[in-house]
Amino acid sequence: MNTALIIASEEWRYWLRSSLAISVVALFTIILIAVSLLTSLRISEEDTERSHHQSEAEQSFLSQPDRHPHRMVHYGHYILRTSPPLALFDPGLDSVTGQSMFLEGHRQNSATFSSLGASADLGGLSWLTPAMIYQVFAPLLIVLLGHSAIVREREAKSLAPLLAQGVSGFQIVAGKTAALLLFVLFLLIPLLVSAALSLPKGEDILTVVSLLIVYFLYLSVWVILTLSVTTMLQKRPAIIAVLAALWLTLTLVLPSIAVNVASRLAPVSGKIETELAMLTEVRNVSDGHNVNESDLEQLRSSLFEEYGVNRVEDLDVNIRGIVSQRAEEKLTESMNIFADRRMEGEVRQAKVVMKHGWASPMLAIAFASRALSATDLEHYHHFLRQAETLRYDFVQGLNEVHSEQLSYADDINRNLSEASYNRTRIDAENWGLLDEFRFETTTSTKRLKSAGLPIMMLITWMIGLFAILVWASTRLKP
Amino acid sequence: MGNSEKLRADQLQIIRSGKEVLSGISFCVDSGEVYALLGGNGAGKSTTLLSFLGFLPPSGGSIYIKGVEVRSNIKAARRAIAYLPESASLYEHLDAYENLRYFLQLAEMPFDKHRIEATLDRVLLASDSRTQRLQNYSKGMRQKVAIALAILRDTEILLLDEPTSGLDPSAIDEFHNLVRDLADSGKTVLMVTHDVYGACQVADRLGLLRAGKLVGEFTAPAGQRIETEAVHRAFSSRHAK
Repeated sequence: MNTALIIASEEWRYWLRSSLAISVVALFTIILIAVSLLTSLRISEEDTERSHHQSEAEQSFLSQPDRHPHRMVHYGHYILRTSPPLALFDPGLDSVTGQSMFLEGHRQNSATFSSLGASADLGGLSWLTPAMIYQVFAPLLIVLLGHSAIVREREAKSLAPLLAQGVSGFQIVAGKTAALLLFVLFLLIPLLVSAALSLPKGEDILTVVSLLIVYFLYLSVWVILTLSVTTMLQKRPAIIAVLAALWLTLTLVLPSIAVNVASRLAPVSGKIETELAMLTEVRNVSDGHNVNESDLEQLRSSLFEEYGVNRVEDLDVNIRGIVSQRAEEKLTESMNIFADRRMEGEVRQAKVVMKHGWASPMLAIAFASRALSATDLEHYHHFLRQAETLRYDFVQGLNEVHSEQLSYADDINRNLSEASYNRTRIDAENWGLLDEFRFETTTSTKRLKSAGLPIMMLITWMIGLFAILVWASTRLKP
Repeated sequence: MGNSEKLRADQLQIIRSGKEVLSGISFCVDSGEVYALLGGNGAGKSTTLLSFLGFLPPSGGSIYIKGVEVRSNIKAARRAIAYLPESASLYEHLDAYENLRYFLQLAEMPFDKHRIEATLDRVLLASDSRTQRLQNYSKGMRQKVAIALAILRDTEILLLDEPTSGLDPSAIDEFHNLVRDLADSGKTVLMVTHDVYGACQVADRLGLLRAGKLVGEFTAPAGQRIETEAVHRAFSSRHAK
């Protein structure tokens, strides 16, 4: 058998005979399984609830009686975003970005939370997700197991006889690395199960395999980092101190610094501030209820020219519906400028945070994991855009019905009598113009492309640390 | 350099952290010979062994194993050597068989159960303790497993670092008999020790090391042992300085 493999299998035998190693791994496994199950249950329940509410909202819209179409514009519609299949593993930003939205005419509402009780299932610890356990606690486990790989031999004075019988430092370190990498594969089993379960729910095999590979890369970075430290330093207390400091810095301190740096370098206006600015701006744009006289005159002239008439009453269409259509179009243009500006700001800020992945592999894996799981900022923006498209389409659809199916004369005289009012109620069949809303994630290739830079960061970490480890291993002395 | 010469230090100088630990010592050990390097703490005994193993490259002079300079082929040099550190450095979570199997596998040697039993019999390790983990062993028992490994590896050269330190008198006698037996079967043994009596008991030749210098050499007359009194006098007087 290959020398490195002999050393690797001996390392495993040591772990299997060490009650401390067994206890730590068992504890980690129990926590990981418990968190995976609870997260999975929580998200499945929320999704079932959201799908149910979504159908209810659609049914409620469709079952509205005959009405004036503009009343339906204000009646509005709720949409709820169901989680992508891999959110069971990495809910990512979903828990902080809101999953439901009220769609109505003349307004772009923010996403809100559909379930306030979402964090109660884990006793307020819903932030503890399987992804978080892999990103923050699995490295700690690798450090606990791996920190002694070389120093233990040195302390037991078994390093000298090993080297003295012709086994090279590189072979010893390669053996320890192989043992820890095999342990990493073992650690990935729960992720493999989670990822495999997402396949029947429509997840793509390419995404699932990519997710497994990036987590293997990330944990391998920790394996090599741990072994580099234990190979280079002589004393156990120094090794533990350095690795503890690295773990704290790379998984907790740097990500926190990155967020603060990003908010300073690429500030994004708060929700209230943005909405106030938008309201100020759109106040000058008509929403169809308060049409500016000169705008109306312009529209009237162009319609007269188009239809070859001289009076509003002679038009083939209801000018009030047309006014609503044009107003909604203009208003949406203005609102979209603000929405795009805010999204660009958020993307800029996220990019600053992501750049810190060159300094912290934990940030790199967090970005790669969310991108692949479709729970990143890009997918949140994707949801907002999908929602806006739906909102615009149904509002404009209703405005079109207003302009085409309701005569101008009936419309302006609707308050004269009950009979005239009833003439403005159009057939409820028209509400069928509302499209079903089902949140669609981007394709696996696009997600993989989004995760490209963080993956490059992890590969760079891996190559750099591997070079250090090889260098240290060739200088290994008892 | 004769064909029987297995180990040679030639004007070996070692400087560590700016301090001269070995000051140009020279000696050689022939096949079938036991050479003891005797000296007090800090005399440079273990440093000499580590130099032969290639762990400490010479600052001056040269070291040869079987006529080949160690630096030119460290791996080959190490393959020819079995090294026993001061405290037998085996794995406590393994039993005697598992330890032997592991080290033999790394040396790319077969695990022959009959040969192992015979070797463990030879080093007088009790049968009922062989399947116990080494964490339950005394120092003497561990030393027996380590020497059994050296025998099983069947190397031509044995480097022993304070091999009897911490052993009880009967274990020391057993160990010396075993070393003598190995030398008689053609093995070359270089041992470092501060045990004057033990060194005289087992060594064919003895070098007295003091502050990194080889200050005296004693040879056992044919068929006899080195005279302990003479070595003791030289060791005590020089050691006291």
